[in-house]
Amino acid sequence: MLGLQLQGIDIRFPGLAAPALAIESLTLAAGSRVALIGASGSGKSTLISILTGLERVGQGRILWDDVDICALSEGRRDRWRGANIGLVLQDFHLFPGLSALENVLLPASLSGAMARDIGARARDLLLRVGLTRPTQMIETMSRGEMQRVAIARALLRRPGVVIADEPTASLDSEAGAAVGELLLELSRESGCTLLVATHDLSLAQRLDRRIRLAGGRIVDDGPVLEQAA
Amino acid sequence: MIGFILADLRRLWAGSLVVVLLVALATALGVAVTLQERALRLGSARAADKFDLVIGAPGSETQLILSSIFLQPSPLPLMDGTVLPRLLADPRVASAAPVGFGDSFGGYPVVGTSTGLVHQLEVLAEGRVFAALGEAVAGSAVDLPIGYAVKPTHGLAERGGHAHTELAYRIVGRLEPTGTAWDRAILVPMQAVWALHGMEAESDADGRHDHADDLEHDHGHSHDEAASGAKAGHAPIDADAALNEDWGKVPPGLPAILVKPKSIADAYKLRQEYRDTETLAVFPGEVLTNLYATLGDAKRVLVAVTTGAQVLVAAAILLVTILHVGQRRRQIGALRAFGAPRRAVFVIVWSELFALIAAGVLIGFSLGFGAAKFIAGYLSGESGVAMPVVFAAGDGLLMSLILAFAAILAVLPAVLAYRQSPAAALRA
Repeated sequence: MLGLQLQGIDIRFPGLAAPALAIESLTLAAGSRVALIGASGSGKSTLISILTGLERVGQGRILWDDVDICALSEGRRDRWRGANIGLVLQDFHLFPGLSALENVLLPASLSGAMARDIGARARDLLLRVGLTRPTQMIETMSRGEMQRVAIARALLRRPGVVIADEPTASLDSEAGAAVGELLLELSRESGCTLLVATHDLSLAQRLDRRIRLAGGRIVDDGPVLEQAA
Repeated sequence: MIGFILADLRRLWAGSLVVVLLVALATALGVAVTLQERALRLGSARAADKFDLVIGAPGSETQLILSSIFLQPSPLPLMDGTVLPRLLADPRVASAAPVGFGDSFGGYPVVGTSTGLVHQLEVLAEGRVFAALGEAVAGSAVDLPIGYAVKPTHGLAERGGHAHTELAYRIVGRLEPTGTAWDRAILVPMQAVWALHGMEAESDADGRHDHADDLEHDHGHSHDEAASGAKAGHAPIDADAALNEDWGKVPPGLPAILVKPKSIADAYKLRQEYRDTETLAVFPGEVLTNLYATLGDAKRVLVAVTTGAQVLVAAAILLVTILHVGQRRRQIGALRAFGAPRRAVFVIVWSELFALIAAGVLIGFSLGFGAAKFIAGYLSGESGVAMPVVFAAGDGLLMSLILAFAAILAVLPAVLAYRQSPAAALRA
């Protein structure tokens, strides 16, 4: 599990007066479970992009434990992300033409990170998310099943952090609830840090801490009170 | 990674197929032109190989070769018949054979010659060589059985030639294939051709003058089909008359004599000696070389056209792949987001494109080879000249060059994919 220390982030896009993201300081404890909420355009996606190293920042520091990912070269950041971050995205980003198992294994095999027992782990994870046919082709699956494959893929290399960007937004409420439940259970089992950007209030309620963004700034940050609303 | 590339190509099979077909057709075009041109050159050179030196009456060198080597039906001026005994007596000559053209049967040229030339061409596949006036030897590509009666037509039937009724040749033998135009020929005794055209050899010197007139007459007759009826009333010729190949008697006029000199030096001396006002001696190879030099310009035009087509195809492929990478931005961004190194992205895009182009090039080479084979087969059937469709060492180099070019071409979209920001690609 990894903890985050973020300092002095200020991201602006040309032609826009307001910053896309301006965060003086943010700390996530290792193993914490955090919901990131806010309206569309509030900066959630930008924050996730810089936390995962998908986007560079001009200034500031992003420390995951003691690794400053801003200081890494692009190639090293890719490698670091593959090894340390499990990513679950709204649109799944699975690859048609491959089976569920092949999809789970694809990032690891492309990065040359195929450990000996990784195939067995992929099968276990697929079973754990409730998929009994690892050889089923991805395009024949329902959207709920696809997101489960994506969760199995995110957890394959035992990442220290799982970051999910609207994991339930493109699912119906039933499938969304099941996927949210799996995400919580599996991250608890593995003990990793969990950050979920979501509009889904019922999912946000079940996390420990809630950060609200508006206009690229943190406007609210505090523990989720059990059934407070 | 290979599984992913294959799945990707399967998913995009329609576009992939189009790219492969485009490359294959462009390659096939170039390969077919190159191979066919080479086949034509090699084929005609080999066809002329069996004939060292050709002597005819003064006139067009090219026409002499086209008529005597490639048996193209067109009249040649006649030279004095005494040239033949003179050549036969020459110590520098290994063999000399008269050839007489002008008749045909069912599209096959009927060529008068000597038994010597028959043996010089090839061994007999079956039967025997002609021994009487009314006997004939068929070339390997002549589709007539042994024993078949050939009634020759003067000129070509489709051009209004008239039938010779005085003599029917009986096919008594068949040659092995020679790969030359002579495979389609029906070889008959030279004496029979003379007899058919009213040009018997005469032994007395006095007869020679009259004979020259007759030659002139006959010469005009072969040119002027309107006069074709004039000679129709010949008395029948005794088909069983034994063949007398004593050329010492002054023979009538001849369109061409095929000469085999004893040595190369002899060949040059003979060629020198028989180029005067009465005769024209040529090396077939030399004439063909001149012909190719003229055709070379035509080949350059063809090559330029095919090169243009290939450049267009290369441009089309480049456009397709750049669009393709644009469409795949999300997929490529996702690969990066999930930790695939940029190197892997580069290799995926590059190898997909290179695999398509390489497949196209390989298919194109076989298609081009097949097309050239087909065209050569068709041309061989028409002319009898075997056209060897073969790859040369330079073709391997050409293929490596094309593949190297494809490898470089494929780098461009791969670099484009490589340089994309994954975050921007995912948002797209």
